[in-house]
Amino acid sequence: MADQIEELALLETLDHLLDRGVVIAGEAVISIGDVDLLYLGLNIVLANVDAIIRTSQK
Amino acid sequence: MKRVVIGAHLRREDIEPLADAIRVGEIFLSGVMVADDQPLSDRDLLLRVARTRAALLDRGTFIAIRYGLAVTNEHDAASKCAAHLSRWRALLDAHSNEVEVTLKIAVASPQKRPDRHDFKLGADYLRALYAARDAATVDERFRAAAEHALSEATRRRWLHRDEASLELAALVPRDRLEACFAAAADLKARFPHIPFLFSGPWPLEVFADADHE
Repeated sequence: MADQIEELALLETLDHLLDRGVVIAGEAVISIGDVDLLYLGLNIVLANVDAIIRTSQK
Repeated sequence: MKRVVIGAHLRREDIEPLADAIRVGEIFLSGVMVADDQPLSDRDLLLRVARTRAALLDRGTFIAIRYGLAVTNEHDAASKCAAHLSRWRALLDAHSNEVEVTLKIAVASPQKRPDRHDFKLGADYLRALYAARDAATVDERFRAAAEHALSEATRRRWLHRDEASLELAALVPRDRLEACFAAAADLKARFPHIPFLFSGPWPLEVFADADHE
């Protein structure tokens, strides 16, 4: 039970770190694994950068 | 070396020695120093930033910068944040004695998340995502009780997080934090069938984000 509470607290902390607060335009690109992820202002990961580049090149 | 930015603060002494202080105009950014080639997705770095962020909040209220901003020096920081500085200063002056808390609630009937394969246009897919998110609701009695539980708040705002959850964010005076946790415990006892998570204190996140204004 204590482990579950600790895990929940960690998840909530990471959720706030990654998904809240002021977004500085053009700076919110992070990578997870080998995939670059682009954060937009509305708090969800919308698309990966490779996909956007591929689409823009078509 | 670069610094991963954590927040914007009124005073240098609220930052050092827990983190590096970077002056930008009349305020200071807090940052964690890392090597230039350090990936921001590094697990240990994430945890280090999360721990530092929590420790900084004990020193004073600050504006949270979403994880992902890195700066190389004061000039770089000032140029990237220039558009925000006067607004941040005003927010810090207005809310220096307050912190955020959040009540995250699982909705009773979550909407089905749209399948991206069902859409030809990305814009239509996004619209469907937002529609599913915004259609999420919670029991009206619980909603009223939650607002009452956070009646100590100076500001409150309901946020649609995704198709399965809603969130009530509130700005509360630091000295009323304990009363808010007691009210949340009471809420849990009165509505045992509604899953929710009350958490805090957090820095200025929702109430500093212009997207939510």
